[in-house]
Amino acid sequence: MTPDEVGARVVDLAGGTATVSGGADWARATVDVAPDAWTTAARAARDDAELAMNYFDWLSAVDELDEGFTLVAHLWSTSRRHGLLLRTRVPRDEPAVPSIVDIYAGAAWHERETHEMFGVDFPGHPGELRPLLLPEEFEGHPLRKEFVLASRVAKPWPGAKEPGESHDSTAARRQPMRPPGVPDPSEWGPGAQR
Amino acid sequence: MAALPGVLGEPIRFVLNWGRRYSLWVFNFGLACCAIEFIATSMGRHDFIRLGVIPFAHGPRQADLMVVSGTVTDKMAPAIKRLYDQMPEPKYVISFGACSNCGGPYWDSYSVTKGVDQLIPVDVYVPGCPPRPEALLHGIMRLQERIRAEESGLGGVERIDPLSVDGRDAVAALTAPPVTPPPGVVVPSGVVWHRSARPGEGPAVGPEGRLPLTELTVDRAGAPAPFGDDQALPLPPDQLDYQHPSGGDRQ
Repeated sequence: MTPDEVGARVVDLAGGTATVSGGADWARATVDVAPDAWTTAARAARDDAELAMNYFDWLSAVDELDEGFTLVAHLWSTSRRHGLLLRTRVPRDEPAVPSIVDIYAGAAWHERETHEMFGVDFPGHPGELRPLLLPEEFEGHPLRKEFVLASRVAKPWPGAKEPGESHDSTAARRQPMRPPGVPDPSEWGPGAQR
Repeated sequence: MAALPGVLGEPIRFVLNWGRRYSLWVFNFGLACCAIEFIATSMGRHDFIRLGVIPFAHGPRQADLMVVSGTVTDKMAPAIKRLYDQMPEPKYVISFGACSNCGGPYWDSYSVTKGVDQLIPVDVYVPGCPPRPEALLHGIMRLQERIRAEESGLGGVERIDPLSVDGRDAVAALTAPPVTPPPGVVVPSGVVWHRSARPGEGPAVGPEGRLPLTELTVDRAGAPAPFGDDQALPLPPDQLDYQHPSGGDRQ
Protein backbone atom coordinates (compact mmCIF):
# COMPACT_ATOMS: atom_id res chain seq x y z
CA MET A 1 0.00 0.00 0.00
CA THR A 2 1.18 3.49 -0.73
CA PRO A 3 1.39 6.01 2.14
CA ASP A 4 -1.76 7.69 0.83
CA GLU A 5 -3.68 4.42 0.95
CA VAL A 6 -2.37 3.59 4.42
CA GLY A 7 -3.42 6.99 5.74
CA ALA A 8 -6.86 6.77 4.16
CA ARG A 9 -7.40 3.29 5.59
CA VAL A 10 -6.47 4.40 9.12
CA VAL A 11 -8.76 7.42 8.84
CA ASP A 12 -11.59 5.14 7.70
CA LEU A 13 -11.14 2.95 10.75
CA ALA A 14 -10.27 5.45 13.49
CA GLY A 15 -10.90 8.96 12.23
CA GLY A 16 -8.46 11.80 12.24
CA THR A 17 -6.68 13.50 9.37
CA ALA A 18 -4.10 11.89 7.13
CA THR A 19 -1.06 13.48 5.54
CA VAL A 20 2.12 12.10 4.04
CA SER A 21 5.49 12.94 5.52
CA GLY A 22 8.45 14.12 3.49
CA GLY A 23 11.20 11.80 2.45
CA ALA A 24 10.35 10.89 -1.16
CA ASP A 25 10.62 7.13 -1.49
CA TRP A 26 10.73 6.71 2.28
CA ALA A 27 7.64 8.81 3.02
CA ARG A 28 5.32 7.61 5.79
CA ALA A 29 1.62 8.00 6.16
CA THR A 30 1.05 10.41 9.06
CA VAL A 31 -2.30 10.34 10.83
CA ASP A 32 -3.28 12.89 13.47
CA VAL A 33 -5.94 11.56 15.80
CA ALA A 34 -7.64 12.91 18.91
CA PRO A 35 -6.29 11.57 22.23
CA ASP A 36 -9.54 9.64 22.69
CA ALA A 37 -8.92 7.75 19.45
CA TRP A 38 -5.27 6.93 20.26
CA THR A 39 -5.85 3.34 21.36
CA THR A 40 -8.54 2.81 18.73
CA ALA A 41 -6.16 3.84 15.97
CA ALA A 42 -3.32 1.68 17.33
CA ARG A 43 -5.61 -1.34 17.64
CA ALA A 44 -7.01 -0.80 14.15
CA ALA A 45 -3.52 -0.52 12.67
CA ARG A 46 -2.52 -3.80 14.29
CA ASP A 47 -5.67 -5.85 13.71
CA ASP A 48 -6.86 -4.68 10.31
CA ALA A 49 -6.00 -7.24 7.65
CA GLU A 50 -4.91 -4.64 5.11
CA LEU A 51 -2.77 -2.61 7.51
CA ALA A 52 -1.32 -5.54 9.53
CA MET A 53 1.10 -3.33 11.50
CA ASN A 54 2.59 -6.05 13.65
CA TYR A 55 5.73 -4.19 14.68
CA PHE A 56 5.90 -1.32 17.16
CA ASP A 57 9.03 0.70 16.44
CA TRP A 58 9.10 3.64 18.83
CA LEU A 59 7.05 6.21 20.72
CA SER A 60 8.14 9.66 21.81
CA ALA A 61 6.87 13.20 22.25
CA VAL A 62 7.55 16.72 21.00
CA ASP A 63 7.28 19.79 23.21
CA GLU A 64 5.13 22.28 21.28
CA LEU A 65 5.24 24.95 24.03
CA ASP A 66 1.79 26.56 24.40
CA GLU A 67 0.15 24.04 22.10
CA GLY A 68 0.95 21.14 24.41
CA PHE A 69 2.78 17.96 23.55
CA THR A 70 2.65 15.93 20.36
CA LEU A 71 2.96 12.20 20.88
CA VAL A 72 4.30 10.22 17.96
CA ALA A 73 4.36 6.47 17.51
CA HIS A 74 5.94 4.69 14.58
CA LEU A 75 4.33 1.43 13.52
CA TRP A 76 5.47 -0.94 10.80
CA SER A 77 4.12 -3.93 8.99
CA THR A 78 6.78 -6.56 8.43
CA SER A 79 4.57 -8.55 6.07
CA ARG A 80 3.38 -5.68 3.88
CA ARG A 81 6.38 -3.39 4.34
CA HIS A 82 4.57 -0.16 5.01
CA GLY A 83 4.71 2.14 8.00
CA LEU A 84 2.59 4.64 9.86
CA LEU A 85 3.37 7.66 12.01
CA LEU A 86 0.51 8.00 14.47
CA ARG A 87 0.29 11.38 16.19
CA THR A 88 -1.88 13.04 18.78
CA ARG A 89 -1.80 16.35 20.63
CA VAL A 90 -2.38 16.65 24.37
CA PRO A 91 -2.77 19.88 26.37
CA ARG A 92 0.19 21.18 28.33
CA ASP A 93 -1.49 21.56 31.71
CA GLU A 94 -2.74 17.99 31.87
CA PRO A 95 -0.85 15.80 29.39
CA ALA A 96 -2.28 12.31 29.40
CA VAL A 97 -2.94 9.73 26.73
CA PRO A 98 -4.18 6.15 27.24
CA SER A 99 -1.52 3.48 27.35
CA ILE A 100 -1.14 1.16 24.34
CA VAL A 101 0.90 -1.45 26.17
CA ASP A 102 -1.95 -3.96 25.98
CA ILE A 103 -1.88 -3.56 22.18
CA TYR A 104 1.88 -3.32 21.65
CA ALA A 105 3.78 -4.73 24.62
CA GLY A 106 6.97 -3.13 23.35
CA ALA A 107 5.59 0.30 24.13
CA ALA A 108 6.08 -0.17 27.88
CA TRP A 109 9.64 1.18 28.09
CA HIS A 110 8.89 3.91 25.57
CA GLU A 111 5.98 5.13 27.65
CA ARG A 112 8.10 5.11 30.79
CA GLU A 113 10.80 7.11 29.02
CA THR A 114 8.29 9.60 27.61
CA HIS A 115 6.81 9.93 31.08
CA GLU A 116 10.11 10.79 32.73
CA MET A 117 11.40 13.01 29.93
CA PHE A 118 8.22 14.98 29.19
CA GLY A 119 5.92 14.35 32.15
CA VAL A 120 3.20 12.84 29.97
CA ASP A 121 0.93 10.49 31.87
CA PHE A 122 -0.18 7.14 30.43
CA PRO A 123 -3.24 5.93 32.34
CA GLY A 124 -3.62 2.18 32.05
CA HIS A 125 0.12 1.53 31.94
CA PRO A 126 0.76 -1.83 33.62
CA GLY A 127 2.89 -1.36 36.68
CA GLU A 128 4.10 2.02 37.73
CA LEU A 129 5.65 4.68 35.52
CA ARG A 130 8.86 4.76 37.52
CA PRO A 131 12.00 6.29 36.00
CA LEU A 132 13.65 4.17 33.35
CA LEU A 133 16.83 6.07 32.47
CA LEU A 134 17.08 8.88 35.00
CA PRO A 135 18.35 8.40 38.54
CA GLU A 136 15.51 7.90 40.97
CA GLU A 137 16.15 11.15 42.81
CA PHE A 138 16.05 13.22 39.62
CA GLU A 139 13.54 16.07 39.70
CA GLY A 140 11.93 17.57 36.63
CA HIS A 141 11.38 16.51 33.04
CA PRO A 142 14.61 17.28 31.18
CA LEU A 143 13.29 17.24 27.62
CA ARG A 144 10.66 19.89 28.32
CA LYS A 145 11.72 23.22 26.93
CA GLU A 146 11.22 25.00 30.24
CA PHE A 147 13.78 22.70 31.92
CA VAL A 148 16.69 24.91 32.95
CA LEU A 149 20.20 23.70 32.14
CA ALA A 150 21.90 24.91 35.30
CA SER A 151 25.42 24.50 33.90
CA ARG A 152 24.68 27.03 31.19
CA VAL A 153 23.33 29.51 33.71
CA ALA A 154 26.48 29.31 35.79
CA LYS A 155 28.85 29.39 32.82
CA PRO A 156 28.46 30.57 29.24
CA TRP A 157 29.25 28.32 26.32
CA PRO A 158 33.04 28.21 26.12
CA GLY A 159 33.35 28.58 22.35
CA ALA A 160 31.94 30.58 19.49
CA LYS A 161 28.40 29.54 18.66
CA GLU A 162 27.26 32.44 16.46
CA PRO A 163 28.91 34.17 13.50
CA GLY A 164 31.17 37.01 14.56
CA GLU A 165 31.92 35.67 18.03
CA SER A 166 35.35 34.16 17.50
CA HIS A 167 38.30 36.49 17.95
CA ASP A 168 39.55 36.53 14.36
CA SER A 169 36.26 36.42 12.52
CA THR A 170 35.07 39.25 10.34
CA ALA A 171 31.63 37.75 9.81
CA ALA A 172 28.70 39.97 10.60
CA ARG A 173 27.12 39.42 13.97
CA ARG A 174 23.52 38.42 14.07
CA GLN A 175 20.82 38.74 16.63
CA PRO A 176 21.84 36.39 19.45
CA MET A 177 19.48 33.51 20.08
CA ARG A 178 19.02 31.67 23.30
CA PRO A 179 18.35 27.95 22.90
CA PRO A 180 15.49 26.33 24.82
CA GLY A 181 16.30 25.74 28.45
CA VAL A 182 18.66 28.71 28.74
CA PRO A 183 17.01 31.61 30.54
CA ASP A 184 17.92 35.26 30.07
CA PRO A 185 21.03 36.00 32.18
CA SER A 186 19.32 39.07 33.58
CA GLU A 187 16.45 36.92 34.88
CA TRP A 188 18.13 33.82 36.29
CA GLY A 189 21.64 33.19 37.50
CA PRO A 190 24.44 34.99 39.30
CA GLY A 191 23.97 38.19 37.33
CA ALA A 192 20.22 38.39 37.78
CA GLN A 193 18.75 41.77 38.58
CA ARG A 194 16.49 41.55 41.57
CA MET B 1 56.87 -10.66 62.69
CA ALA B 2 59.75 -8.30 63.12
CA ALA B 3 58.77 -4.67 63.47
CA LEU B 4 59.28 -2.76 60.26
CA PRO B 5 60.75 0.71 60.19
CA GLY B 6 58.31 3.51 59.56
CA VAL B 7 59.90 4.46 56.27
CA LEU B 8 61.59 1.90 54.08
CA GLY B 9 65.06 2.54 52.88
CA GLU B 10 65.88 4.01 49.51
CA PRO B 11 66.78 0.70 47.78
CA ILE B 12 63.51 -0.92 48.89
CA ARG B 13 61.57 2.15 47.83
CA PHE B 14 63.17 2.01 44.41
CA VAL B 15 62.46 -1.68 44.01
CA LEU B 16 58.84 -1.36 45.11
CA ASN B 17 58.14 1.57 42.82
CA TRP B 18 59.95 -0.12 39.96
CA GLY B 19 57.82 -3.21 40.40
CA ARG B 20 54.59 -1.29 40.72
CA ARG B 21 55.01 0.89 37.69
CA TYR B 22 55.85 -1.92 35.29
CA SER B 23 53.10 -4.33 36.30
CA LEU B 24 50.01 -2.15 36.11
CA TRP B 25 47.14 -4.56 35.75
CA VAL B 26 44.62 -2.29 34.11
CA PHE B 27 40.86 -2.34 34.36
CA ASN B 28 39.09 -0.47 31.59
CA PHE B 29 35.98 1.33 32.72
CA GLY B 30 34.79 1.81 29.14
CA LEU B 31 31.71 4.00 28.93
CA ALA B 32 31.74 5.44 25.41
CA CYS B 33 33.79 5.76 22.23
CA CYS B 34 37.03 6.47 24.15
CA ALA B 35 36.98 2.82 25.20
CA ILE B 36 37.62 1.90 21.55
CA GLU B 37 40.77 4.00 21.62
CA PHE B 38 41.80 2.22 24.79
CA ILE B 39 41.32 -1.11 23.04
CA ALA B 40 43.34 0.16 20.08
CA THR B 41 46.13 1.08 22.49
CA SER B 42 46.13 -2.43 23.90
CA MET B 43 46.36 -4.10 20.50
CA GLY B 44 49.40 -4.92 18.44
CA ARG B 45 50.11 -1.61 16.75
CA HIS B 46 50.45 0.46 19.93
CA ASP B 47 50.75 -2.36 22.42
CA PHE B 48 50.96 -0.88 25.89
CA ILE B 49 51.99 -4.24 27.31
CA ARG B 50 55.51 -3.22 26.33
CA LEU B 51 55.14 -0.49 28.96
CA GLY B 52 54.08 -3.01 31.57
CA VAL B 53 50.36 -2.29 31.38
CA ILE B 54 48.53 -5.60 31.45
CA PRO B 55 44.95 -5.47 30.17
CA PHE B 56 43.90 -8.85 31.57
CA ALA B 57 42.66 -7.93 35.04
CA HIS B 58 39.70 -10.16 35.77
CA GLY B 59 37.92 -7.35 37.56
CA PRO B 60 38.53 -4.40 39.83
CA ARG B 61 39.67 -6.65 42.68
CA GLN B 62 42.65 -7.79 40.63
CA ALA B 63 43.51 -4.40 39.12
CA ASP B 64 46.06 -1.72 39.97
CA LEU B 65 44.99 0.88 37.44
CA MET B 66 41.54 1.97 36.36
CA VAL B 67 41.14 3.84 33.10
CA VAL B 68 37.82 5.68 33.00
CA SER B 69 37.22 6.13 29.28
CA GLY B 70 33.96 7.67 28.26
CA THR B 71 31.00 9.72 29.39
CA VAL B 72 30.26 9.41 33.09
CA THR B 73 26.58 9.89 33.86
CA ASP B 74 25.01 10.53 37.24
CA LYS B 75 23.30 7.17 36.97
CA MET B 76 26.63 5.40 36.43
CA ALA B 77 28.41 7.30 39.22
CA PRO B 78 27.55 4.86 42.05
CA ALA B 79 28.94 1.96 40.02
CA ILE B 80 32.22 3.79 39.38
CA LYS B 81 32.59 4.63 43.05
CA ARG B 82 31.80 1.08 44.07
CA LEU B 83 34.23 -0.53 41.66
CA TYR B 84 36.97 1.91 42.60
CA ASP B 85 36.46 1.04 46.25
CA GLN B 86 36.84 -2.64 45.36
CA MET B 87 40.33 -2.13 43.95
CA PRO B 88 43.19 -2.98 46.32
CA GLU B 89 45.77 -0.40 47.32
CA PRO B 90 47.93 0.95 45.82
CA LYS B 91 45.59 1.95 43.02
CA TYR B 92 45.76 4.54 40.29
CA VAL B 93 43.21 6.19 38.01
CA ILE B 94 43.66 7.63 34.54
CA SER B 95 40.83 9.81 33.27
CA PHE B 96 40.82 9.24 29.51
CA GLY B 97 39.09 11.73 27.25
CA ALA B 98 37.27 15.02 27.54
CA CYS B 99 34.06 13.48 28.90
CA SER B 100 35.58 11.87 31.94
CA ASN B 101 37.90 14.84 32.48
CA CYS B 102 35.23 17.52 32.68
CA GLY B 103 32.04 16.44 30.94
CA GLY B 104 33.41 17.28 27.52
CA PRO B 105 30.87 18.21 24.87
CA TYR B 106 28.14 17.23 27.32
CA TRP B 107 29.19 19.80 29.91
CA ASP B 108 25.69 21.33 30.05
CA SER B 109 23.73 18.08 29.98
CA TYR B 110 21.16 17.20 32.61
CA SER B 111 22.54 13.71 33.06
CA VAL B 112 26.33 13.85 32.62
CA THR B 113 28.73 14.10 35.58
CA LYS B 114 31.13 16.99 35.01
CA GLY B 115 34.29 15.00 35.46
CA VAL B 116 35.04 11.69 37.14
CA ASP B 117 37.32 13.50 39.62
CA GLN B 118 34.18 14.50 41.47
CA LEU B 119 33.84 10.85 42.43
CA ILE B 120 37.29 9.32 42.72
CA PRO B 121 40.84 10.73 42.87
CA VAL B 122 42.45 10.96 39.44
CA ASP B 123 46.21 10.68 38.90
CA VAL B 124 46.54 11.54 35.22
CA TYR B 125 44.15 13.32 32.86
CA VAL B 126 44.44 12.55 29.14
CA PRO B 127 42.81 15.27 27.02
CA GLY B 128 41.22 14.70 23.63
CA CYS B 129 37.90 13.80 22.09
CA PRO B 130 38.76 11.01 21.79
CA PRO B 131 42.51 11.04 22.45
CA ARG B 132 44.80 9.19 20.11
CA PRO B 133 46.32 5.97 21.44
CA GLU B 134 49.64 7.80 21.61
CA ALA B 135 48.05 10.18 24.11
CA LEU B 136 47.15 7.27 26.37
CA LEU B 137 50.69 5.93 26.06
CA HIS B 138 51.94 9.36 27.11
CA GLY B 139 49.54 9.42 30.04
CA ILE B 140 50.70 5.98 31.12
CA MET B 141 54.31 7.11 31.06
CA ARG B 142 53.42 10.19 33.10
CA LEU B 143 51.72 7.91 35.64
CA GLN B 144 54.82 5.72 35.76
CA GLU B 145 56.94 8.77 36.46
CA ARG B 146 54.66 9.60 39.36
CA ILE B 147 54.89 6.07 40.72
CA ARG B 148 58.68 6.17 40.40
CA ALA B 149 58.79 9.29 42.57
CA GLU B 150 56.42 7.96 45.22
CA GLU B 151 57.54 7.87 48.84
CA SER B 152 56.32 4.35 49.39
CA GLY B 153 55.83 3.89 53.05
CA LEU B 154 54.15 0.94 54.66
CA GLY B 155 51.16 0.08 52.53
CA GLY B 156 51.56 2.73 49.91
CA VAL B 157 50.81 6.40 49.72
CA GLU B 158 48.12 8.48 51.39
CA ARG B 159 45.39 9.48 48.99
CA ILE B 160 42.66 12.04 49.44
CA ASP B 161 39.12 10.91 48.77
CA PRO B 162 37.37 13.80 47.02
CA LEU B 163 34.05 12.74 48.50
CA SER B 164 35.15 12.75 52.11
CA VAL B 165 36.49 16.31 52.32
CA ASP B 166 34.81 18.61 54.83
CA GLY B 167 33.55 15.56 56.67
CA ARG B 168 30.59 15.26 54.36
CA ASP B 169 28.97 11.87 54.16
CA ALA B 170 28.76 11.94 50.42
CA VAL B 171 30.01 8.39 49.98
CA ALA B 172 26.88 6.90 51.49
CA ALA B 173 24.75 8.89 49.08
CA LEU B 174 26.76 7.63 46.12
CA THR B 175 27.04 4.01 47.13
CA ALA B 176 23.87 2.27 46.11
CA PRO B 177 22.62 -0.62 48.22
CA PRO B 178 23.15 -4.13 46.89
CA VAL B 179 20.86 -5.31 44.17
CA THR B 180 17.58 -6.51 45.62
CA PRO B 181 16.54 -9.92 44.39
CA PRO B 182 13.56 -10.01 42.03
CA PRO B 183 10.21 -10.90 43.57
CA GLY B 184 9.71 -14.59 44.01
CA VAL B 185 13.32 -15.37 44.88
CA VAL B 186 13.58 -16.41 48.51
CA VAL B 187 16.88 -15.46 50.08
CA PRO B 188 17.66 -17.88 52.89
CA SER B 189 18.23 -16.19 56.20
CA GLY B 190 20.95 -17.19 58.57
CA VAL B 191 23.51 -17.84 55.84
CA VAL B 192 27.01 -16.54 56.46
CA TRP B 193 27.68 -14.75 53.16
CA HIS B 194 31.17 -13.67 54.03
CA ARG B 195 33.96 -14.80 56.27
CA SER B 196 35.22 -12.26 58.74
CA ALA B 197 38.56 -12.45 60.45
CA ARG B 198 38.83 -14.52 63.59
CA PRO B 199 40.40 -12.93 66.68
CA GLY B 200 44.14 -12.59 66.20
CA GLU B 201 43.84 -13.27 62.50
CA GLY B 202 43.28 -9.73 61.24
CA PRO B 203 45.97 -7.82 59.44
CA ALA B 204 48.77 -6.53 61.59
CA VAL B 205 48.76 -2.75 61.35
CA GLY B 206 52.05 -0.94 61.13
CA PRO B 207 53.20 1.80 63.47
CA GLU B 208 51.56 4.51 61.36
CA GLY B 209 48.24 2.73 61.20
CA ARG B 210 48.82 1.41 57.72
CA LEU B 211 48.91 -2.11 56.43
CA PRO B 212 52.43 -3.52 56.45
CA LEU B 213 54.12 -5.02 53.45
CA THR B 214 54.22 -8.60 54.67
CA GLU B 215 55.94 -9.78 51.52
CA LEU B 216 59.18 -8.35 52.88
CA THR B 217 59.20 -10.18 56.19
CA VAL B 218 57.60 -13.58 55.69
CA ASP B 219 59.77 -16.64 55.47
CA ARG B 220 58.34 -17.89 52.21
CA ALA B 221 57.59 -16.51 48.78
CA GLY B 222 54.19 -15.16 47.86
CA ALA B 223 51.39 -13.73 49.94
CA PRO B 224 50.28 -15.47 53.12
CA ALA B 225 47.37 -17.82 52.77
CA PRO B 226 44.03 -16.41 53.87
CA PHE B 227 43.46 -19.32 56.25
CA GLY B 228 46.86 -18.96 57.91
CA ASP B 229 50.26 -20.27 56.93
CA ASP B 230 50.28 -23.29 59.22
CA GLN B 231 47.08 -24.85 57.88
CA ALA B 232 47.07 -28.10 55.95
CA LEU B 233 44.72 -27.81 53.05
CA PRO B 234 42.07 -28.94 52.34
CA LEU B 235 40.54 -28.19 55.70
CA PRO B 236 38.47 -30.89 57.37
CA PRO B 237 34.78 -30.34 56.67
CA ASP B 238 33.84 -29.59 60.26
CA GLN B 239 36.18 -26.59 60.25
CA LEU B 240 34.62 -25.00 57.20
CA ASP B 241 32.36 -22.09 58.10
CA TYR B 242 30.74 -21.64 54.70
CA GLN B 243 27.28 -22.97 54.03
CA HIS B 244 25.93 -23.37 50.56
CA PRO B 245 22.86 -21.11 50.30
CA SER B 246 20.72 -23.85 48.78
CA GLY B 247 20.70 -25.75 52.05
CA GLY B 248 22.52 -28.49 53.89
CA ASP B 249 21.78 -31.34 51.50
CA ARG B 250 24.73 -30.52 49.24
CA GLN B 251 28.14 -31.41 50.48
